[in-house]
Amino acid sequence: MSESFPVEELPAALAPLPPAAALRPGPVRRIGSFLLRNPGGVIGATIVLCLVLSAVLAPIIAPYDPLHMGAGRRLTPPSPAHPFGTDEFGRDLLSRVIYGSRLTLQIGLIAVSISLGTGLLVGLVGGYSGGWVERILMRGTDVLFSFTDTLIALAAVAVLGPSLTNAMIAVGIAAIPYYARVTYGVVLVEKSKPYFDAAVAAGAGHLRIIFVHLLPNVIPPLIVVASLGVSAAVLAAAGLSFLGLGAQPPSPEWGAMLASGRDYFTRASWIMTFPGLAIALSVLGFNLLGDALREALDPRQRRR
Amino acid sequence: MAQVVRTSKSSRTGRIAALVLGVLAGAAVPLAALGARAADGTLVWARDGDSDSLDPQRTTTTLSWEVFAQIYDSLLAFDESGKIGPHLAKSWVVSPDGKEVSLTLNGDITCHDGAPFTAEDVKYTIDRALDAKNPSITKASWGPITSVDVVNPETVSVKFSSPFGAFLSFMTDPMASMLCRGDAKLGDKFGVSAAIGTGPFKLVSWTKGDQIVLERNTAYKNFGLPAQNKSAPHIAKLVVKNITEAQSRLAGLKTGELQVAEPPLAEVTTIKDDKTLTLVTAKNTGQDNFFEFAVHRPPFNDARARKAIAYALDIDGALDIVYGGLVDRERCPVAHPVMDSEQDFCKSVGYDYDPEKAKALLAELGYGPDKPLDVVMLSWTGGDRDKLVQVFQNQLQQVGIHAKIEMMDIGTLNARVTQENEKTTGPGTFDLMGWAWFDPDILYALWHSPGAYKGYSTPELDALLEKSRTSADPTSRLGLVHDIEKILLQEAVMIPVYTPGWNWIYAVRAEVKGFKVGPFKRPMFNDVTF
Amino acid sequence: MARYLLKRLLSAVVTIWVTTIAVVLLIHLVPGDPVKIMFAQSQSTTPEQLETVRHNLGLDRPIYEQYAIYMSRVLHGDFGHTIRGDQPILPLLLGRLPYTLALALSSLLVATVIGLGLGFLAAYKRGTALDSLCMVLAIGGVSVPVFWLGQILILVFAVRLSWFQVAGSDWRSLILPALTLGVTNAAVVARLTRSTMIDIFNQDYIRTAWAKGLPARTVLSRHALRAGLVPIVTILGLQFTYTMGGAVIVENVFSWNGIGRLAVQAIFQRDYPLIQGFILTFACLVALVSLAMDVLYAVLDPRIVHV
Repeated sequence: MSESFPVEELPAALAPLPPAAALRPGPVRRIGSFLLRNPGGVIGATIVLCLVLSAVLAPIIAPYDPLHMGAGRRLTPPSPAHPFGTDEFGRDLLSRVIYGSRLTLQIGLIAVSISLGTGLLVGLVGGYSGGWVERILMRGTDVLFSFTDTLIALAAVAVLGPSLTNAMIAVGIAAIPYYARVTYGVVLVEKSKPYFDAAVAAGAGHLRIIFVHLLPNVIPPLIVVASLGVSAAVLAAAGLSFLGLGAQPPSPEWGAMLASGRDYFTRASWIMTFPGLAIALSVLGFNLLGDALREALDPRQRRR
Repeated sequence: MAQVVRTSKSSRTGRIAALVLGVLAGAAVPLAALGARAADGTLVWARDGDSDSLDPQRTTTTLSWEVFAQIYDSLLAFDESGKIGPHLAKSWVVSPDGKEVSLTLNGDITCHDGAPFTAEDVKYTIDRALDAKNPSITKASWGPITSVDVVNPETVSVKFSSPFGAFLSFMTDPMASMLCRGDAKLGDKFGVSAAIGTGPFKLVSWTKGDQIVLERNTAYKNFGLPAQNKSAPHIAKLVVKNITEAQSRLAGLKTGELQVAEPPLAEVTTIKDDKTLTLVTAKNTGQDNFFEFAVHRPPFNDARARKAIAYALDIDGALDIVYGGLVDRERCPVAHPVMDSEQDFCKSVGYDYDPEKAKALLAELGYGPDKPLDVVMLSWTGGDRDKLVQVFQNQLQQVGIHAKIEMMDIGTLNARVTQENEKTTGPGTFDLMGWAWFDPDILYALWHSPGAYKGYSTPELDALLEKSRTSADPTSRLGLVHDIEKILLQEAVMIPVYTPGWNWIYAVRAEVKGFKVGPFKRPMFNDVTF
Repeated sequence: MARYLLKRLLSAVVTIWVTTIAVVLLIHLVPGDPVKIMFAQSQSTTPEQLETVRHNLGLDRPIYEQYAIYMSRVLHGDFGHTIRGDQPILPLLLGRLPYTLALALSSLLVATVIGLGLGFLAAYKRGTALDSLCMVLAIGGVSVPVFWLGQILILVFAVRLSWFQVAGSDWRSLILPALTLGVTNAAVVARLTRSTMIDIFNQDYIRTAWAKGLPARTVLSRHALRAGLVPIVTILGLQFTYTMGGAVIVENVFSWNGIGRLAVQAIFQRDYPLIQGFILTFACLVALVSLAMDVLYAVLDPRIVHV
């Protein structure tokens, strides 16, 4: 489910920064200039932008109400009136795909927020505190990691019941270890640097150390993990909806649309094709963006 | 990251080789354990689920009793026209006061373990069903039995505390299958990995979730099933496979791996044109799909809200969109052909599609365009019901009712409906339920207090149900059934929708001959040859 | 070596132990009365019967006693019975497990062969059109939803063309599911292999080998591949876990009779004892395989035990 996760993030985050780090342009400028030179990144960013626009502008650009049965005749192939065709109830498929982008974005944002928020907290507290707090938190993270996210998602849906919200929560919880580990790794690296002890000796408060020293170093790798995490979350949630454990009808969620389109594949293949393409394209976009961000922000790769 | 590894070349290669071999061996071992391909003379039948149990007294699901009908026999059986006739029992006598039924068995019946089937086995079966500590799940359907006596090896006498008109028809049901006494010795394995009956097929094995393997019972005698073959089935083996994906079943039919399977309903029209497959549709299934409500709290404690739903639904339109002629509209609480349930009578006392009346009733209750009525519509998966409820949801939307859909497994639905009837708070819920029965006695099971789901009940309805249960005369019984149906329909306690509803269409490979589905959806393989 | 193995074993045991706690808690996380939920689907249980069950399962006792009861049962091999059909759970799970393992291992084989090949090629030809092509394929493979791919493969290759079988439980029906899962995994393996091998190719000793004029075959196999073996085994070890997760979906798409399909059915049927048994079995399996991979890792590169 989450095969696209950047397992190699950990060693990258642990690598020492080049000495000229303090003199380089800030992360935002670096991202901007790098993306422009990286075609994969540009494509990825464009796709993501289209997704966001589609989600935000859905009521304006969708030609029909996505729930309106009888917008067209049932099972009509793509035509000028219905560019993606109609489904088994006569609903316009293009409108459903467009509205589905809202759900896709929601899934990505909510799931990643849960994972990022919790993972960041766990990694920060664990790495910063040391001692038995650190051991318990990080051991707990390892245990959570060894339950594959499929298992966590299934268990969460079993307890909470099938619904898109529960699927989002489940997927979010399942990905916490990735964010926790990356954060933890960065915190450990920073703690080993001379300035850290100096700051502590100088009497800097905990919050100051965290916000001024730790967070700025944690954020770049987390951005990379997050953008790849969105694609993983979207795939995972779509998978749950496909199994019937996520979005419920008549929700225009792409995974659920794929599931109901199965029965009509021989007669009306477009019902399954377009939502599938939408999922693949969105996931591709976030993956490309994530790859490009990683190359832009990873200090080690910059050296090559 | 990586540095020179100073281990010798050969040991490294050895380790690599070991790793690869290990993976291959690991993959091979489970594969070797997998089932081999079916041999000739074997018919493979694929369904969308698996049996719950092979013990007829532990479950009521259709998927389970379809298999009971292969392993076991019942005392009586429906003939072609749906009339009750002999099967294991060759004749029966009902006492004048209706409180005793005496059944005489055919001779020379053998159980799968070789033991003869006698009246002792009948007594064992009924006693087990009524056992106080661990009763059958269908205990109520056996009726108010006080004792079962073995008069002689071929005659058994069943005594009731009051007359029970539905007893004989229940004796045709697979859930009243006759067990052999050998089952008692199987202990925990009975119903799980072993089962002994007198039916046309013997149980070989059950790999739960995958397949049930049955083999021909060479000693079989068909006394009453509506099949031409009066002795052992022609096929050597019957494999009942569980394949939940409809498209996979269709693929299996086309490749020839499967011979009989339920196709995806959406593909039925294309299959009609396919020369390699034929369609067999069950007639007279007795399946009734209907809406019922959680009546112990608002809004559905008020009959007007229920009637509003009845008026708001364009059932014919919805059935046409989703099934396109594969199902029939059902207007009666008892599905036709049970007791000649009269569609015209039910239509006259029920409610038809009239959105304006629906809106008017909702307005009376205080709902309108600014204040929509929020409810939850429940149903169970399969049979394209998920599509049907979406169409209904859309129709309800048009009159200002916001229905949220929740789909679940039938077992979960049964539990949920009971739960909703016990709750006193929460949005109104109603459900699209399905029951199949061959006798109006189903009305007693569903609606006599406390009811199957602790739902609607009144003393008036209870009295009518009790009278209809004990009435032995068919004409007066029909009158009572009509009175009961009138209450159910006029009060909109239930809204019948369509029949059949589940597992009624079979796609069969053209070279397979003789597959038929008996009355009340009993699939029969006795005549099959290919 | 022994200390390392002991540490890893302890880690696996801790994971399994935490799983048992989670499993016992699971039934209490479901809103409502656990016993009522478990028997909600039986139409003829009396309140007395419910109380008996409640007492037998220890649900009327404090949570730590319940845990002790559950653990003692589990250690005796009694995982309880399913709600639907009253089937003993452990034999049920163990019977379906070989199918899932067959699927996981065969798809892992496909993923390894295709993924390693593509990744190695891309790393070797880094910067060329071939590299770009391989990576485009890889990123495509990672982005395609596995259930969509599986469904299309069924409809094209089984229904339309009848090349493959889908309805059986033998190796012939395993081909399509293994390919589906393997292809999506291969993409991940390819990407990870490529970045690993690029690191290795950049190492000084490899550059030295090139400079010495050694033939490409020698450099690649004797030096690069051997050095890459350890991280690649790590990658593959992680892939097993991902594969087990992906197997759940693929089993449902292809109606393949493994524990993943059982789990989804159990969830639909709210069969909580079965769900508990599934979680425990699945977690144990993954923990054991991780342990095995750790041991393998140590065997392949004895230096790692001192890390």
